[in-house]
Parts: sequence; structure tokens; C-alpha cells
Amino acid sequence: MAEPIIDLKNICVTFKEDQRDVHAVDHVDLQINRGDIYGVVGYSGAGKSTLIRVINLLQRPTNADAAVQVNGTDLLNLKASQLRDERRKIGMIFQHFNLMDALSIADNVDFALKKSNLSKADRKKRVAELLELVGLTDKANDFPSQLSGGQKQRVGIARAIANRPDILISDEATSALDPKTTVAILDLLADLNKKLGLTVVLITHEMDAVKRICNRVAVMEAGRLVETGDLLQIFSQPEAQLTKDFIDTTTHLESALAAVKQQPAIAHLKVGSVLVQLGYQGASTDQPLITELYRRFEVSANILYGNLEILQNTPVGNLLVVLSGTPKHTEQALVFMKEQRVSVKVLEKGTEEVAHD
Amino acid sequence: MINFLTKIMPNVIDNWSGDNGILLGIWQTLYMTFWTTLIGGVLGLILGIALVVTDQHGILANRVVYNILDKIVNILRSIPFVILLAVAFPLTQILVGTTIGPKGALVPLILGTAPFYARQVQNTLVQVDSGVIESAEALGYNPWTIITSVYLREGLPDLIRTSVLTIISIIGLTAMAGAVGGGGLGYIAISKGYQRYQNDITLVCTLLILVLVFVIQALGDLWARKVDHR
Ligand SMILES: Nc1ncnc2c1ncn2[C@@H]1O[C@H](COP(=O)(O)OP(=O)(O)OP(=O)(O)O)[C@@H](O)[C@H]1O
Ligand SMILES: [Mg+2]
Repeated sequence: MAEPIIDLKNICVTFKEDQRDVHAVDHVDLQINRGDIYGVVGYSGAGKSTLIRVINLLQRPTNADAAVQVNGTDLLNLKASQLRDERRKIGMIFQHFNLMDALSIADNVDFALKKSNLSKADRKKRVAELLELVGLTDKANDFPSQLSGGQKQRVGIARAIANRPDILISDEATSALDPKTTVAILDLLADLNKKLGLTVVLITHEMDAVKRICNRVAVMEAGRLVETGDLLQIFSQPEAQLTKDFIDTTTHLESALAAVKQQPAIAHLKVGSVLVQLGYQGASTDQPLITELYRRFEVSANILYGNLEILQNTPVGNLLVVLSGTPKHTEQALVFMKEQRVSVKVLEKGTEEVAHD
Repeated sequence: MINFLTKIMPNVIDNWSGDNGILLGIWQTLYMTFWTTLIGGVLGLILGIALVVTDQHGILANRVVYNILDKIVNILRSIPFVILLAVAFPLTQILVGTTIGPKGALVPLILGTAPFYARQVQNTLVQVDSGVIESAEALGYNPWTIITSVYLREGLPDLIRTSVLTIISIIGLTAMAGAVGGGGLGYIAISKGYQRYQNDITLVCTLLILVLVFVIQALGDLWARKVDHR
């Protein structure tokens, strides 16, 4: 397995408030591999910002036995000046962009190069190159107040990657943007990840953002990581309730299920009918499953809700379906589907006798 | 022309130049204002920056240093200037060798100005977006660079505005210092205009001070607007 580029071990951050201690980060381990786009999701106050600010030690762990390794360097034992050098290899972008109002766009980007060893001419060239990369060449001489939110974030990104960092930390960088701009910024991050091999840590409370570009995810709640894993795995087999809630914000499966169960037809399912949730991934989607069920078992399928996500080029689908046939045939149909690598979860089994005339 | 002026303000023309003349008064007022602004300004700026960076949310948070500086500023600021003029006498004697004239007025003027300006600087710089400071820290900049390139740069428009306010209040203070022996337009307005019922002198001195204030205000506004891109 690849050596993690970010390796946090046993991180605690406790803020001393007047009366009580706030455990903003509570014994967290976090490994992020080179080239990852790693999403950290959680509700407001979960401790996401505090946790990722530990990566460049803008926030120091408050416990003695924490370890912060970035790029193979133990950051906790560096002198102040060495730490500042390391920070330059970790870019950071923010929800409110944090540009300097007093400086033009070009100067804002150039600001990041103050401590670089580039000559004046090379700095100028690098700034032009960066502005081109984020598509803002024509705004070089404007000031931040003249730019839209999305444009400001592009400047933030240009500034953050000016020193060619290995890591880019994004703290809710799209939270202040409209959906369309959000997508454009996320795609830019994914693009930089691919082009420059940049490892991206994406803090967000929007599952849509995670779904779009991340390959790994951690779900955070009350200072702890309640679940971590591959995007596909998290989406197809979420374990923690919070994870399910977050996934539901994009699939709406749970809410659909609640609505479906309200329907009289579902509340009074006939014997031989079952309400099932079918989950499938990748290749299994291509099979004409529903047709097959009828052809083989004379079991009809009534699709009540469907959701299809394309995650990392893999389709992940979820269906809420009522299967109806004779009880025996319905059972056979369920077994058949399991053989087809479709995950089947029986939600309701019909108990009402079929009325005979 | 001269005849006309002599007619409407005889005392002003009589007292225009020479010892204790208005011309000398203008010079003395400018002298006191300039040096107080320069020395008091630099001291106040340093003190104000120190307050901001040692504040509990500052980049060099230090409770002890902050509290000491904060107390010094508070105490100095709560001494009424007229009293400061008297209290500063011995210190003035030691530092500049005299307690009279514009030079003698400088020490109390600076003591009165520096803490006042320090608070103005502090109030201005704490408003610099903490996110911008954080982004500079994330870029690996040391406190000195953050002070000079972020705080002073981002705070510049407001710093100019508060500096103008401070200079104007310094002009006010020089008039007061003048009244107790510092010289300058304030001294002339009181000793010749007010006490000898030469109202034209009072009026002209007032106008001259007003002109000075307006010029400084106008230049300050112009500059602040030029560097303000918000
Ligand atoms: N400097 C601080 N002093 C005291 N408490 C703090 C400080 N910073 C954060 N906290 C507390 O720590 C907890 C976690 O805050 P944090 O900002 O990390 O959450 P978050 O997940 O980033 O939330 P959001 O989505 O709102 O940004 C919160 O309860 C917050 O009030
Ligand atoms: Mg946050």
C-alpha cells in the first residue's frame, strides 16, 4: 500500500471554554494517500475545520501523544522557521476566499511567491501561468471587489498552488457559491488533481461535492471520524446512521422510502408481494433484470423509486420495487437476483390474503 | 490692498512678523504638529501593532505583554492633556533641556498623542479580516511579514483616515500646549487676541488653523480613496 502523504495519529484538540472543555477533535487518526481527493463531511461544528487545520499546524493538537506527519516530515518537532517552509508545500483555500482587498488579482497571486527564490521576471511569468491555469488572465489587473465569488475562489486556488504544493486543503471552498459555480470549482480541483498530482483534502457539508470528485471519504461527528472508506463502498454500504443521512441528502432514498411506506397499497401488501430495495453496482446494471424476472418466474416488478449515481465512472443504483407473483415464485426471484450480484433488502412482506371471488 | 487690510485688521498687520508674530506662530504650530505626528505617530503605531498581535487572537498572542501595554495606554489616555502638560514638566526638562517654547511642548504632546493613536491603530487593524491573516500564515509567512504586508497593507485606507483624525487632534493639542508656553497660533490667539481684545487676531489665527485642518483632511481623503479598493 502506498505511503500516506498525510498521516495524523491520535489527534485531540480541546478548547478551554469558561466552564467546560470543548473537544473539537477527539482522538482522530487520518491517513490520506498521495493523489487522493479525500472528502471530510460532517455537520457544522463537527470539528472539520479544526481537524484539517492540524495538517499544517495552524491548529496544534492539544494532547502530547499526537503525531502529524506530512510528506514524511514530522511537523510537530520543527522549529518555527522550518514549519513555515513546510507550510508553503501545503496550499489552502477558504470559504470566504480570504483575498487581500488592497492588491490586484495578479498581486494577490504574487503575494504567495514572496519567499520563493524566483527572480522578478520569473515571478511575473509564474503569476501569468497560474492565472491562465485558473482561467483569469484577463482579470490580472482587477481588484477582488470587482470579481464574482467563483472568480475570487479561482484566485484563491491560483494563490494556493503558486508554490507548487503537494497538498491542497479546501475548507468549504464552495459553500459560498451557487450550484453551477460550485461544480465548476470542483471540476477545477479534480483537474488539478489529475494534471499536477495534487492531493486534495476537501472539507464540505455537501455530499454532492464529495460524490462528484472524491475517491475517499471520512464522515465526522462531534470530533470523531464515525466512518471512513472508499467512495463507492461508503455509498453502497454505509454503516453509520450519519453516513446514511448524508448519502440520503443526495440520493433521497430514505425519504422516498418513508413516503412509499405511507401508501395504502404498500401498507396492505398482498401475500406473494414484497417491497424490496435493490442495490446494484457497475456491470450488473446492464442486465435486463426486470424483464428477466417476468420471463423466468412470472414475477412482475413495480418500480416506485429509482436513483442512479455515477461514482468514479461506476454506476451505482438503488431501486424501491414491489415484486408480485405467487409466494414461491417471488422467493425464487429474490434468490435469482442475489445470484446476479444485486443486493436485495426485503423491506415489507405481504401478509394480506388475496381475496377470492 | 495693504491699506485695506490695515483698515479691517490693524492688529494682524502690526503683529504679522517679528518676535511673537503670527508668521512665527504658524511656523511653531507646524513645527509642533510635524514632530508630534512623526514621533507620536511612530510610537503609537508600534504600540498599536503590538496590541493587535499580542491580543488573545493575535499572531503573537501573549496575555502578559498585552495586559501591560493595554494598562499603559489606558492610564496615559485618561490623564487630561492640560494636566499632562504639568505632569510632564520634569521629564521634558530631562529629555529636551527646556520646558518652554515649541520644543518644550513636544514631550507632553507626544505623550498625549501616542496612546491615543495606538488605540486608533489597534481598532483599525483588528478589523483586518482574520481569514486573510490566516491565509498568510498558511502561506508560511513570519509575523513580521504578516504585519508589514498584510496588516499595514490591508489596513492602510482606514489607517490613513484615523491618522488624519489624529493629526487634526494634534493641531488642537498644540493650541492648548501653546496657551501654557508652547507658542504657536493658539498662544497668539489667546495672549494677543483674546486677552488684549484684538478680535481680528483671534479670527485670523482661527482661520489659519482651519485652513491647516482642511488641507490635511483633503490630502488624507484623497490618499485614502486612492489606496482603497474595497
Ligand atoms: N478557537 C476556538 N475556540 C473555542 N472553540 C472553538 C474554536 N474553534 C472551534 N471551536 C469549537 O470547536 C468545535 C468545532 O469547530 P469547527 O470550526 O472545527 O467545526 P466545523 O466542522 O468546521 O464546522 P463548520 O461546518 O461550521 O465550519 C465547535 O464546537 C466550535 O465552537
Ligand atoms: Mg469549518
